[in-house]
Amino acid sequence: MNLPEYRRIRMPMTREDARSLRAGDMILLDGEITITAGLPTHHRILACADEGRDPPIDIRKGSLLHLGSYSQDTADGGLEVLYMNPTTSTRFNPIMPRLIRHFGLTAVGGKGGLDAACREAMQEVGCVYLSFLGGGAPLHSGAITGVKAVAWNDLVAHYRLVRLSVNGLGPVTVGIDAHGNSLFETLSAQAQDRMPEILAQLDRDRAS
Amino acid sequence: MTFLGKESLSAMPITQDAVKTLSAQLYDWSLRRVPDDTKDALRRARATETHEGAQRVLEIMLGSALRAEQTDRFVCSDAGVPVFRVTIGAQARWEGDIKAAITEGFSELVGRIQPPLLKHVTNPLTNERGYQGKDMPLVTWEVESGADWIEIACQPKALGSGRWAQAETFSFPSLADIEAYVMRAVMTAGSQHCPPVIIGVGIGGSFDVAAKIASKATYRAIGSTNPEPVLAAMEERLLRAVNATGFGPMGTGGDTTALAVHVDYSAGHGYTPVAVCFNCWINRRTRARIHADGSVERME
Repeated sequence: MNLPEYRRIRMPMTREDARSLRAGDMILLDGEITITAGLPTHHRILACADEGRDPPIDIRKGSLLHLGSYSQDTADGGLEVLYMNPTTSTRFNPIMPRLIRHFGLTAVGGKGGLDAACREAMQEVGCVYLSFLGGGAPLHSGAITGVKAVAWNDLVAHYRLVRLSVNGLGPVTVGIDAHGNSLFETLSAQAQDRMPEILAQLDRDRAS
Repeated sequence: MTFLGKESLSAMPITQDAVKTLSAQLYDWSLRRVPDDTKDALRRARATETHEGAQRVLEIMLGSALRAEQTDRFVCSDAGVPVFRVTIGAQARWEGDIKAAITEGFSELVGRIQPPLLKHVTNPLTNERGYQGKDMPLVTWEVESGADWIEIACQPKALGSGRWAQAETFSFPSLADIEAYVMRAVMTAGSQHCPPVIIGVGIGGSFDVAAKIASKATYRAIGSTNPEPVLAAMEERLLRAVNATGFGPMGTGGDTTALAVHVDYSAGHGYTPVAVCFNCWINRRTRARIHADGSVERME
């Protein structure tokens, strides 16, 4: 691939870095990320918040990315992740504002975006949403350099809470920045505004 | 099914084992490769995109497709659920239980495939997930006149795009009504279905038939022309309309929200179901035929 140079961001992302990003920026990630693709996992993290406990992997002031992975034990007693890819974040809309505020997250992400309530929570605490390529498993998986921890092994693999070290993960697009700008909301509103003209054009094309 | 007379026993029928092996292979192959027509469409989109970020996302998509081929890895971690369309030639002869063959083929594949699959088969009553479940794999059976082969097509279906399919039943809708409904489905999916997508639209028949022909329409090669002129024109203008929304690749903005819109119809009563479904950009799809002499022809 002949891609331009992308800004590299150290994970867990600092609040300063989060606030420095703007919707539409494309970046690469280095460092440590925490991921899960499971709704039951989000419920467990929510329960931790409600009961004042820490989840088994600390996400405070860190990232919680909607990425699913296949993790397994290795023969030498370690852990490995065979592949990783994003899941649709909007599934977690009702839960994310609470998690973003309670844990002071600096980065969330996945694919498809999050809603206005999440965007408000992100602006409040200084957090960005990172859009990963769906169907990007070969690229995302190749950026994994180590598995730091896997928790809640009673869940199916992609639901587990996993901490990974990555090198050059991405490029990912900043879909929602910490200043209240959401590509997803902007594009949806823009499409809505365009719809009367789009339907009128369909009428004209049909008549011609 | 044709029952064999004594004189034809020497001719080799299509076997249960052949169907088992091929159906499992088609699923496995589909996970590791973006079809050629789809890669070509992505390249064309990259050349015509005016949005810089979208050009980059399309480039990264093509890079991911290439890497999957080079490393023989899955393009997406969501291997979906196994979905097959089996077309049986009306003159085809086979032996054994070809329905059980597909279930067995998937079951055996799950035990040996590398890397292993995540558990996506979900019991909708409990949301428990595993590798097996009622009516799994999901198979649509069709019969084709004037053929003696069995064709198996595989299109694993995952949540990312599967979630956004919808159907609504109208009475005596105009084409404008139908197209407005397609656009509502596009707006509902918005940025969430891993665009640029392939959109299937099924019009008419009964409720189940509309959904079936919408799904079948997504199997058609990108760039192929609809033989029905009314629908060929509808596909062209709907594709322009969808791409005028601006959601773009991965829904982060651009001119390329769909690579194709494919429409089919069946006659029905004046109540007209319209079904709309989406395939994400990787458009997983494989197809092969087992001929009467037992030879296997890989078609895509």
